[in-house]
Amino acid sequence: MAGTAVADASTRQRSPRRGRPATPTVTRAVVIAALFLFVLLALPQLMTLYYVDTMTQVAVYAMVALGLGVLVGRVGLVSLGQVAVLAIGAWVAARLLFATSQPFPLVLLEAGLITMAAGTLLGLPALRLRGLYLALITLMFAGAIAIVLDTTNFPNGGHGFLGYNGSLVHIPPIRRPGIAASDPAYFRYSVVVAALLFLLAFVHIRTRPGRAWAAIRQSEPAAMAAGINTTFYKLWAFALASFITGVAGGVYAGAVHYLYSLDFPAQDSIILFAVVLMGGAYSLWGAIVAALLLEFLPALLQNWGVSADWLTILFGIGVVLTLTTAPAGMADQVPKDLARLGRLLRRLATSGGGAR
Amino acid sequence: MPSWPDFQPFIVSGLALGGVYALSGVGMVVLYQATGVVYLAFGAVGAMGALIAWSLINAGAPGWAGWLVCVVFSALVTLGYGMLFGPLLAKRDPLVKAAATLGLLLVLFGVMDLLWTTSGGESRAITLPTDNSGFGVAQVQVNWTQVIGLGLGIAIAVVTAVFLRYTKLGTAMRAMANDREITATLGVPVRRVEAAAWLGCGVLAGVAGILLADMVALDATTLTFLVIYTLAAALIARLRSIAFTFVAAIVIGLVQNLLTPISSVGNYNDMTPFVLAAVALLAFSRRSVVSRSREEA
Amino acid sequence: MRMREHTLSARAAGALVAVIGMLAAAGCGSSSTSGSPPGSKPSTTAVSTSQCGTKAGVAATGTPIPLGVIVTNQPGTSFTDISNMANAYFACVNANGGIKGHPIKYYIETEQTNPAQIAAEAKQLVQSDHVVGIVGNTSIIECSIDSSYWQKLGYDIIDSGIAPECWSTPNSAAVNMGPRYSSDGAVQYALSQHVNKIVFDQSNVPGTGYIAAGPSALAAHAHVAITQLTENVPISDADSVAIKEVDDAGPDGAVVLNFTPPEALVILQAAQKLGIEDRVKLWGCSTPCNTDFLAQSLGPKWNSKLFVNAELTPPDVTSTPTMKLYEAILKQYGKAVSGGIGSFSQMGFTEAEIAVHALETITGPYTVASVNAAFKAVTNFNTGMLCQLWSYGSYSMHIPNNEDYTVTPDNGKMVTAQGCNAISSVDPQIAQYRALAGMAKTVQ
Repeated sequence: MAGTAVADASTRQRSPRRGRPATPTVTRAVVIAALFLFVLLALPQLMTLYYVDTMTQVAVYAMVALGLGVLVGRVGLVSLGQVAVLAIGAWVAARLLFATSQPFPLVLLEAGLITMAAGTLLGLPALRLRGLYLALITLMFAGAIAIVLDTTNFPNGGHGFLGYNGSLVHIPPIRRPGIAASDPAYFRYSVVVAALLFLLAFVHIRTRPGRAWAAIRQSEPAAMAAGINTTFYKLWAFALASFITGVAGGVYAGAVHYLYSLDFPAQDSIILFAVVLMGGAYSLWGAIVAALLLEFLPALLQNWGVSADWLTILFGIGVVLTLTTAPAGMADQVPKDLARLGRLLRRLATSGGGAR
Repeated sequence: MPSWPDFQPFIVSGLALGGVYALSGVGMVVLYQATGVVYLAFGAVGAMGALIAWSLINAGAPGWAGWLVCVVFSALVTLGYGMLFGPLLAKRDPLVKAAATLGLLLVLFGVMDLLWTTSGGESRAITLPTDNSGFGVAQVQVNWTQVIGLGLGIAIAVVTAVFLRYTKLGTAMRAMANDREITATLGVPVRRVEAAAWLGCGVLAGVAGILLADMVALDATTLTFLVIYTLAAALIARLRSIAFTFVAAIVIGLVQNLLTPISSVGNYNDMTPFVLAAVALLAFSRRSVVSRSREEA
Repeated sequence: MRMREHTLSARAAGALVAVIGMLAAAGCGSSSTSGSPPGSKPSTTAVSTSQCGTKAGVAATGTPIPLGVIVTNQPGTSFTDISNMANAYFACVNANGGIKGHPIKYYIETEQTNPAQIAAEAKQLVQSDHVVGIVGNTSIIECSIDSSYWQKLGYDIIDSGIAPECWSTPNSAAVNMGPRYSSDGAVQYALSQHVNKIVFDQSNVPGTGYIAAGPSALAAHAHVAITQLTENVPISDADSVAIKEVDDAGPDGAVVLNFTPPEALVILQAAQKLGIEDRVKLWGCSTPCNTDFLAQSLGPKWNSKLFVNAELTPPDVTSTPTMKLYEAILKQYGKAVSGGIGSFSQMGFTEAEIAVHALETITGPYTVASVNAAFKAVTNFNTGMLCQLWSYGSYSMHIPNNEDYTVTPDNGKMVTAQGCNAISSVDPQIAQYRALAGMAKTVQ
């Protein structure tokens, strides 16, 4: 490692995909489309309701991880407050769903926009900071929001601005869209919403904002020298991440029907960050891997009778191991490892078949 | 609005709480100054040490033996983690290094809940001999444990500040936190210096663990996630000044407690560390200047 | 370089796991010895556990009767002792004839107060495990989340409730009193000691408004001022909580707490360290405080100073056959019950006892319809663990346990301070239930 230039030992994230072609090939698009159709149509039939409910959570957290991935992987900004943003989105959606009879997609859009406004407002002063300080101040925001939610609680059909009635003996459930009332239907609905948001992120990455973000992540002074308005584009990243997470909050509210402040503790934001790093912050697939780790793995182990404590331990070991051995996350590492395995197997096959 | 005598006991409890924040805040800043790692597992490792001490004391061992085991355990775990994963992550972003300590936190947290279960309504407590004697101030009792906690915070702040600035080992630590590669090329035995830094922090975590288990609660969740509050104090000092961390912690504790008797504030006073940290950080930060990220770390 | 990193990190992980493993072995020994509270010895006349079943020593080998349960299990709040004790009871029954030769298969799901997880687990129990009855649910929010699901499918739950829906829906009947009515009991005792102010402080978990309504009604009826407080948990600043409570209550007032045992302990200990515990007339606590662990940790200063509401019959003063059976089953089948003799395992025992009693009345096949009809038909059953006879019934809400004891610490153990006392009908929910169940209105 001594040979590596000292300048490289910087604190910036590096892009591991430098050699790969940037434009998706037709086969990749077809594969993605096939996978999407499979998940949308076939998967709910193949799973029990337990796993359908679990996969709905995977869809929600895939969106949250996507938002964080855009910030961390594309721009190099770390927010340790995304779970608080999710809570805000869920709060707004719940309030609107109880107070109005607007169609569900409209509520999701409104939740996304209001959360976007809140996220941008919070991001504005925070952008004066960088690196570790930016991350820690977002954690402070998350802690503050968590305590506010502890006191204001989530809307539960009550009146007033907060919409919370503490003495209810029967809490009404948060409604779902008419076409997606059952669990399998709601799963499909969330997959469609997630796909749309992934598309939104993808479009951003492939067009001007994406290029500006890449420039900023590479070297902010150089980007500024090139005439890029770094503050504007960084705010745009915050806005996009907050919008995506806000919509995810709305989907979450409809999925669980009942919201509690103890479901959004500040420490979950740190765990989310660690899981996004594990899944891979640099690719969109990483967001899906992160969501599977966060929601599917615990549900699987619970079903197999493994105590939640063992899962916590496993997670901890996994975090440390992934961060030390797979810097770009599992979404990047696993294909590489599989490719390496494939080459190894081929070599063994040919050497075994040859005359020795 | 409460009257002055109503506020007085809260000044006492505020100083005690500030002492709590200061003890772990100073410990975390010390390690950050020496290794560049925000040791998120600081509370967890002390908590586990305290629980081990509790088990030993409950089984009949003398108090001092339990506390010694707590400190040794914390030192060994911290040292072990630092020597195994410190070098591997040395070149990574400080956030990645912090996220890795989260891995240690999760492992310890899971182990603690497995071994010291609460499924039967168990409630545990650590008592120190200094708990039962003290003196009266402002209509309440201050016990010697709280005084020791506060005093220890001051002592650690002073001693480590002096150590880091004026001794060879301390300077080597600061150099390594800044840039490990260059320090290595200058002939500093980085592995040994690193070991010393991690060991020192582990000892601090163990001592803080026992005191916090006594002053706050012997509960894995409370002690582990106390770090989020203490990060607020460290953040106000921008993770740079140990003395400033101490002062910030005291101020947070005082403000949080002085807000308690004002009933219109309600439970919002729990937000104090976060609000103060955010405000201080934004107020004290420079205008948007483009600087190399290494300077912030 | 990568290879080296791989092996280094693999070794690192191995070392870390080894260290943890060694400590686990060290910790295991000491934590189990401290698990059983001293002073609660099993009674001298041994009772054969075979009394739990109908055919002593005959193992049940027929088709199993699947039952399910959902309990919270997260750091700081774990109710697995309840499900594990119920499981122990079922194991005893299975070893002694089963239910007409059928063993009970108990599916235990644990949750971490995650609404999506809780909803999913209910579906798992019904769809994959095909349970015919739900016995033993103990969860901070499960009743709220699954109540309409259980109702739709016709499940009548026997639980140890916490959330408001456990007490206000037709298909949940609890063996305990839950936070609201247990707090009522604690406040009632304080009022009986003629305090002139009540400060009621509870943890800020879902349902605080519902819980607070009970004590408010009681205090209003007695023309005693009451202050309602909540604290975010876990508490990291117990000193200010204690000072605030004591200041508000005043020298002739009472502070009544509704917290989990670790949180109640830090508040009480803070009051003691600050030297302010005697500045109020008395301290009260709802049932979670009723553990010998708390009594030991508090020390003698709290003897007859802290009065805890006890939802279940104190084991140390009772030596009925049922109590002895409970202790015997705990000893023989209850290895997984970490708290030993105490209210959690008592609840699990009682719920299982009621379920077995109901199942034994079924003559045909064991289906969702027949099992839940049998549960609802339980009437005036003497559980041996409660003040009253327990009934389910077809009411729109259920609070079948509405009489309590009051206990107080006495040098490391909880002892009875007051015997069975009815919760006052001044609490409107209690009045409503008593009217539905045809019970006498008791205003205290």
